[in-house]
Amino acid sequence: MGNSTFQDHDVVVIGGGHAGVEAAVAAARMGLDTALYTMNADLIAQMSCNPAIGGIAKGHLVRELDAMGGVMGEVIDRTGIQFRLLNRSRGPAVWSPRAQADKQRYRVAMRRLLEGEARLGIKQAEVVEILRENGQVTGVELADGRRVGARAVVLTTGTFLNGLIHIGERKSAAGRSGESPSVPLAESIKGMGFGWGRMKTGTPPRLDGRTIDFGLAEEQKGDEHPTPFSFRTKEIRQPQVACYIAYSNDRTHQVVRENLSRSPLYSGRIQSIGPRYCPSFEDKVVKFPERPRHQIFLEPEGLSTNEIYVNGLSTSMPPGVQMEMVRSIRGLEEAELIRPGYAIEYDYVDPRELFPSLQTKRVAGLFHAGQINGTTGYEEAACQGLMAGINAARWVRGEEPVVLGRDEAYIGILIDDLVTKGTDEPYRMFTSRAEFRLQLRIDNADRRLTPLGGKLGLVGAEALAEYESKQKRMERLRDSLKELRVRVESGRISAREALKRTEFRIEQFVSGLPGGLRTDLNPEEMRSVETEIKYEGYLRQQRADIEKMRRASSRVLPVDFEYGNIAGLSREIVEKLSRIRPVTIGQASRIPGMTPAALSIIHVHLELERRKKEARA
Amino acid sequence: MPTLIDDTIAAIATPMGRSGIGVIRLSGEDARRIAATVCGCGSNSLRDRATSLRRVRHPRTREVLDQAMVTYFRAPRSYTAEDVVELGCHGSPVVLESVMAVLLECGARLATPGEFTLRAFLRGRIDLVQAEAIRDLIEAKTLFQARVARQQAEGSLSRRLKPIKELLVRLISLLEAGIDFADDDVPVLAEEAIQEQLEPLVAGLQQLKAGFGRGRLLSAGLTVAVVGRTNVGKSTLFNTLVNQERAIVNESPGTTRDVVAEEAQLGGIPVRWLDTAGIRSSMDPVERIGIDKTREVLADADRLLLVLDGSVDLADEDRRLLEELKQQACCLVINKIDLPQRLPGEGIGPVEAPVVRVSALTGEGVETLKQVLLEDLGQGKVTQQEGALVTNFRQQERIGAALKALKRAVGAVEQGLPHEVILLDLHGALSSLNELTGETGIEDILGRIFQTFCVGK
Repeated sequence: MGNSTFQDHDVVVIGGGHAGVEAAVAAARMGLDTALYTMNADLIAQMSCNPAIGGIAKGHLVRELDAMGGVMGEVIDRTGIQFRLLNRSRGPAVWSPRAQADKQRYRVAMRRLLEGEARLGIKQAEVVEILRENGQVTGVELADGRRVGARAVVLTTGTFLNGLIHIGERKSAAGRSGESPSVPLAESIKGMGFGWGRMKTGTPPRLDGRTIDFGLAEEQKGDEHPTPFSFRTKEIRQPQVACYIAYSNDRTHQVVRENLSRSPLYSGRIQSIGPRYCPSFEDKVVKFPERPRHQIFLEPEGLSTNEIYVNGLSTSMPPGVQMEMVRSIRGLEEAELIRPGYAIEYDYVDPRELFPSLQTKRVAGLFHAGQINGTTGYEEAACQGLMAGINAARWVRGEEPVVLGRDEAYIGILIDDLVTKGTDEPYRMFTSRAEFRLQLRIDNADRRLTPLGGKLGLVGAEALAEYESKQKRMERLRDSLKELRVRVESGRISAREALKRTEFRIEQFVSGLPGGLRTDLNPEEMRSVETEIKYEGYLRQQRADIEKMRRASSRVLPVDFEYGNIAGLSREIVEKLSRIRPVTIGQASRIPGMTPAALSIIHVHLELERRKKEARA
Repeated sequence: MPTLIDDTIAAIATPMGRSGIGVIRLSGEDARRIAATVCGCGSNSLRDRATSLRRVRHPRTREVLDQAMVTYFRAPRSYTAEDVVELGCHGSPVVLESVMAVLLECGARLATPGEFTLRAFLRGRIDLVQAEAIRDLIEAKTLFQARVARQQAEGSLSRRLKPIKELLVRLISLLEAGIDFADDDVPVLAEEAIQEQLEPLVAGLQQLKAGFGRGRLLSAGLTVAVVGRTNVGKSTLFNTLVNQERAIVNESPGTTRDVVAEEAQLGGIPVRWLDTAGIRSSMDPVERIGIDKTREVLADADRLLLVLDGSVDLADEDRRLLEELKQQACCLVINKIDLPQRLPGEGIGPVEAPVVRVSALTGEGVETLKQVLLEDLGQGKVTQQEGALVTNFRQQERIGAALKALKRAVGAVEQGLPHEVILLDLHGALSSLNELTGETGIEDILGRIFQTFCVGK
C-alpha cells in the first residue's frame, strides 16, 4: 500500500445511502481517517422510496441507533413534517415512532452533519474494484483508474449492484431512478466468490399535489405532541402537515386485471423475489380478489414541493396504465403524474457470508451493510451501517468486534437473523421477531445502549451526562414510589405495588411525590418507570431464558472448526455449519434445522479439541 | 433451543420396570434447591455425601409421594462434577413418575439419554481416553434420537396435536398481525374473541393430558410391532415371541382386527410386543378400523418386524409394504420355512434390514430372530430403555407446560393486559408443542399473516 495509491485512509465507505452515512460517521467519530465514496455527492442520504422514517419495529431500530450514537434519529427530528407514535392502543413495548420526512431537507441536513465531522471526507467517484492482498482488503480502485488505500472497507451499495428498473415493457439499467447502476463493482464482488442472489422491490408513482382534491380524502393528522426519535432532541420545531387516506375501488382493480400482462411482475420479465409485506398493487389485486378496496396514503414529500408520494400503490405498470389506476381513485380523478412508479431488481450478497461483526468471511477487513445484505428499509440499513462502521474501526485498531445480543437490541436480532439464517426475500424488522419483546422498548433504548455508545466514543460527553442525570431522576422516582403509601380496597400498600394492578396509572400518585421530584419529572420518564413496574413479573419470567441465551453466546466456536469430522451429525447439518461457521454455540443453536442432540455433540468435540490442545501444550 | 449444559436435569437412573429401588438423579446448579423443595427441608440440611430418609411431597398439595433415601454430592465430587442429588425411591414406575413430575415442576428439565455422562465429560470428570469412547456412544445416540424425533413427528400424538397447534398458530398470527401491522387495515381481536379462540385450545390439551394417565405411560418400555400383509403368520409369530396363546390364529385372512399388545422381556429389556391387523386394501368397514389402527401403531413403534410368507411368491401387497416401511423395518422375517420355499433369500424389495428365516409354527429360527433384534436394540445399549421412557414422559411434560402457559394467557386476557403480554405465554405454549411436533417458527407465522391479510404499503 502507499506507493501506487492516490490517497490512503483507515476506512473507506462505499455508498452514501442510509447505511453508508452511519458507517462513515461512526468510524470518523471513533477517530479513524474515513472517506465516504459516492457516485453523486448531491444525493447523500437520499430517500429513494417513501418519504418516512420509523414505523412499528423500525422506530425501535432508530431509537436504538440513536441511543448508541447514530445520526438518523437527530436528522429526522430536524426535518420531519409529521410525527406519529404508532400502536398507542397496545402496550408500551410495541409503541413505535414514525415521521414523514421532508426528503430534500433530510438529505441536506445529513450532508451538513457529515461535513461537520473532522475526520470524514466526502468523495464523489465510482468505485469499480475492491483491492486485496492475501485475502485482506488493501483499498479500492476508482473508475478513472486511481487507487485508494484502505485498511478496512465498508460496502453499502443499496440497489445499485446490477440494478435494473422495470416500467411496463421497458427496462433500463439504473441504481435508483435517474442514476447509473454499479456494474463493474458487482462483477468485482462476484469475482471474490461470494454467494449472491437477486431481489426485487418497487415504488409507487408520485403525483402533483396541485392536481389532487384532498377534500375527497380522509385527513390524517400527526400527533399533537410529537414524539422525537432522538433522546437528545428536546423539541420538534418545524411546521407539521397532514397526510391523507384515499381508497382504491372496483374500477382501479379492473384496470389492473385488464393490464396484468403488461406488468413485468406478471409477464414473467421479473423473476426475483419481492417482499411479501410490501406487495405491489398488482399483487394486492391478484392475491386478495375479495377485497373491495385498499388504503392509499397520500404523503407529502416535503414542505418546499407539491410532490405527493402515493403510499400503497407500488406498481411497475406502463405509465399510461398507472395514470388510469390513479385517476380511478376518488380525489385523484384529475391527478397528474410527476414520476411513474417502478420495480427494481438488484443483486445482493448472501448475508451468511458475514460474521456477526458484518465482516465478510472471505475477505478480511471488508464489511457489508444495508440492502446488499438482503434487507429493505432505511432504518434496517442505517443500523447495519452503524455496526459495520464501529466494527471496521475496531478491526483497524485490532480490537474485538462489538456484537449486540438478541436480548439487548432489535439491531442484534436483525444482524443475528441475517448472518445465521440468511434471507430469500428483502428482510424487514417486525416486533414479532423479538423473543424478548417486552425488554426491547423505545423508552429504555438508552438504558440498553447508551453506556456502550459512550464507551465506544460515539456518544458525546454532554449527552452522556444528560443520560446519567435522567437515570438518577428515574431512580429517585422508583424509590419514592416504593415509599409512598396509597389506599386501595384491601388497605394501604406502596404506590409501587398498586401500580402493578391494571387499574392504577402513575399520574394518580404524582401529587403524593416529594415536591422537588414532582417538578423534575417528565412524562416519558414517568411512563418508562411505570412500564417497568407493570411488566416486572413478565420481565422476570424471561430472565432465566435470557441468562441461558447469554451463556450460550459466551461459548465461542473456533472459526476453523472441522464439522465434517463429527460422525454423529447429519450431512445437512454439517453442510450448514460449515457454510455459516457460527462464532458461538448460541448462534449455532439458531441455525434452522439444528437439534439439541447435534449441539451436544458439538459441545463434546469442542471439549475434546480443547483438551488435546491442552495436552500438547 | 436448550443448549443442554446450563440447566438442572433429572432422570430416572435405574432401568425401568418393577424393581425394589428406583434411583432418580438430579444434576446442576439447582439440584440441591429442588431436592430440598420436594423434601420440605432447607437446602442446608442436605449435607455433602450424607444420606437421609425423607418424605417426598408435592410442594403445593403437600401430598406424600414416597419415602426416599436422599443423598447430596457437592460439586465437583459427584458423578457429573456438578451438584448432584440422588433420590432412592420405591421402584414402582408410578411412584417414580410422580416424583419426576414434581421435580420438573420445581424447575428441573428432563435429561436426554446420556446427558449425565455428557456433563461429566464436559465438566472434566472423565479423561480423554474414556471421553473418546463416550463420544462414540453419544454419536450413536444422536442417530437414535433423530429416529425418535422422527417417529414422534410422525406419531399419533403428533397427529392429534396438529389441529390444536393449528388453532394456536392461527391465534398468534392474528394477534401478531394486529401489532406489527397496526398501521394497515388489520382487524384487532377483541378480548371476547381471544377467549373464544383460547377455549378449544385449552380443552383440547386437557383432553390429551388426561389420556396420558391411563395410556402408554404406565407401560413404559420398548415397543416392537409385528407387521405384514394378511395371513403371513404374524399372530403365530407373535404368540411364539411372547410365549403365549393370545392372538386369534385363523386361516381366514384378517382375523386380528385390533392391535393386540403383550409384555414380555427380550434379553432383560422389557418389551411391549404388538400384533397388528394385516394391512391390505379392504372394503370391510370393521377391518378398515383395524388397519387404520395399525398404521397409527406403526408410527409409534420403536421397532418393526416385517413378516413375509416364504412359501408363496411376493404378493403386490407385500411389495407395497416393503416400499412403505423401507425406512422403518429393522428386520425382514421370512416365515413358514417348514413349507417348501418360493421366496429368494436376498434382494427382496428396497428394505436393507437383515433377513431372518423362521418357522413360527415349529419355532425354528426364532432364537436367531431374537438375537438379531437384540443386536439392533444393543446399538445404543441402555439408551433405548431411557429413550422410550423419555419419549413418553417428555410428551406428557411438554403438554403440561403448554397447558400452563395457555392458562396464564387466559388470565392475562381476563385482566385486560396488552396483546404483547398475552403473546408471551402463547409463544411459550407454542415452543412446548414445537418440541413434540417439529418447529413452527416466526417465518411460518409471518407467512400466515401475509397470506391472511393484505398488509404493507
